[in-house]
Amino acid sequence: MNQEFHYYATYCAAILAGYSHQESEKIGYSACMVDFCTRTLLEKLGAPLNAATTQLPLELVDAWTDTVGLQDITRIWSSFHFLPADLYAKPKKRCSKRYLQKYRLICGPNSDLLEKTVRLAKNMDEQAAGIAMHVLADTWAHRYFAGTPSLVINNTNPYFYELFQNGDTVTEKKITFRHSTGTPDDLDKSIYTCSINYNSENSIMVLGHGRAGHLPDYSFVRYKYLPAWGDYEETVKDNPSDFRSAFCQMIYAMKYLRGVIPDFFRNQYDGEAVKPYSQQLDRILTKRQLDATEDWKAFAALLSGTEPEPFSMERYQEEYLRADEAEKSNTFLGRFFVAAMAQKSMVTHNIYNSGNTLAGNSVEYDGKGFRGIRDFRMLLHRKKGGSGS
Amino acid sequence: MNRFQRIKEIMFGTVLIALAILLALVPENSIQPAAFIISLSLLVYGVRLMWNYYSMARHMVGGKATLYQSIIVLDISLFSFSVTTISPAAVAIYLMLIFAFSGAIDILRALESMKSGVSTWKVRFIIGCVRIVAAIGLLIAGAFFHSVKILVIGYCVDLVYTGIVRIVRAVRRTAIIYIQ
Repeated sequence: MNQEFHYYATYCAAILAGYSHQESEKIGYSACMVDFCTRTLLEKLGAPLNAATTQLPLELVDAWTDTVGLQDITRIWSSFHFLPADLYAKPKKRCSKRYLQKYRLICGPNSDLLEKTVRLAKNMDEQAAGIAMHVLADTWAHRYFAGTPSLVINNTNPYFYELFQNGDTVTEKKITFRHSTGTPDDLDKSIYTCSINYNSENSIMVLGHGRAGHLPDYSFVRYKYLPAWGDYEETVKDNPSDFRSAFCQMIYAMKYLRGVIPDFFRNQYDGEAVKPYSQQLDRILTKRQLDATEDWKAFAALLSGTEPEPFSMERYQEEYLRADEAEKSNTFLGRFFVAAMAQKSMVTHNIYNSGNTLAGNSVEYDGKGFRGIRDFRMLLHRKKGGSGS
Repeated sequence: MNRFQRIKEIMFGTVLIALAILLALVPENSIQPAAFIISLSLLVYGVRLMWNYYSMARHMVGGKATLYQSIIVLDISLFSFSVTTISPAAVAIYLMLIFAFSGAIDILRALESMKSGVSTWKVRFIIGCVRIVAAIGLLIAGAFFHSVKILVIGYCVDLVYTGIVRIVRAVRRTAIIYIQ
């Protein structure tokens, strides 16, 4: 999903779930921050590098695609942007273990891991709630793609059509892809930018939805295509409907996090809270535009009476840099890093326990010794009630 | 990384370093073995592609492309065995391109780090520059002096670097800790 959805739509959903303006702004900020917390940023801040929630294109180009490198990439993208739908899924045909492991990382909504993600954020701060909302929203936008480099799962072919609803009839328009990253997508001509077609299984060109460009992130678009894993069966992606579901599910999940709802269940959506604003929401979701910031901003102001401050990566950096070592994890960003590592640890553990090694090894802490990556000690400190640094 | 993968990585890294030392000891006679290694790695790549087709890509929409690619790579690798024995220039161009490309990536990453205020950008920038200079050095050595020594030594340094990195990565802690 785009930055404006993660920031403003999450803010709006938080307001509708009953959070205050300040709390909602923190949740929206944290949801958006997931797309900016790179190793480059963490290096600059002197923060634990394993708290990275995304990777810059150049970081990916620079990354090793050996076992360790691929596991690192998979941990980041599967934990935060492509939460696997079913870790025990079986394809229709018999296949090798290698194929099966990749197939089982295909993202989708309402998974067991989503439930665990939301529950993990319960009784934690707004940063954890924001991260969980980012993950939840992306399960809708990024469904059918996997958070690991894989040609056999994430590749697409030229069969790609945009669908336009005119009353009862649906018209199709062939989508043209190009590889010019500097040129904005041309919505009128249905020309979109995507990653290069490189016939290599572990190439970063086939990480996530790179081969479908930004199409999965645009709320207005409906399209059909043949996913590489789909056995030549046409798949239709209805983004306005999916984005609406994501929005309603976020409200429901945040009501659970606030304690308004006693438990969180899958396939539950708070459509009631949205009802009075249904028209405004649909208008934003279906409007053909590259940047919906202004519309979301207006909607946010309508809901809370206050416009949230525009997203800025620098907003909390000074606080983190100035804090003493012992106090860093009590800062806004410090809390974000701890919540991010908790999410990464939980998802990796579940993937590993399903017999899938693509996201690396996971060791359950048994109370003595520490046999894993040192950065994750912060989670132990948090559990003990310490500062976490 | 499990124990088997770690052992495999350490062994592979050690073999690379040993090979580099052997080649560097007699650089004037090492161009053919170096070329042989490159051709061999291409052959291994072709076999891996074919294995990839049978284990994975045959399930994929348009997966036949991988099969055709593997056949072409295998063909090129066999062809390269003969070319490299005739022309060391082909090896030189290949090595030069590798150095130039990795150098360019390092410099781009360094510039991005600089923009973000990361203090370690200079180290990366210097590594990138060294790689570009190595590529130019290989070009000059090959084209003007017809010398293979620099070429082989450059290749050996790269092999040692790759070997060391593999060993270091194999012994590092990679497990994620899960705390209930």
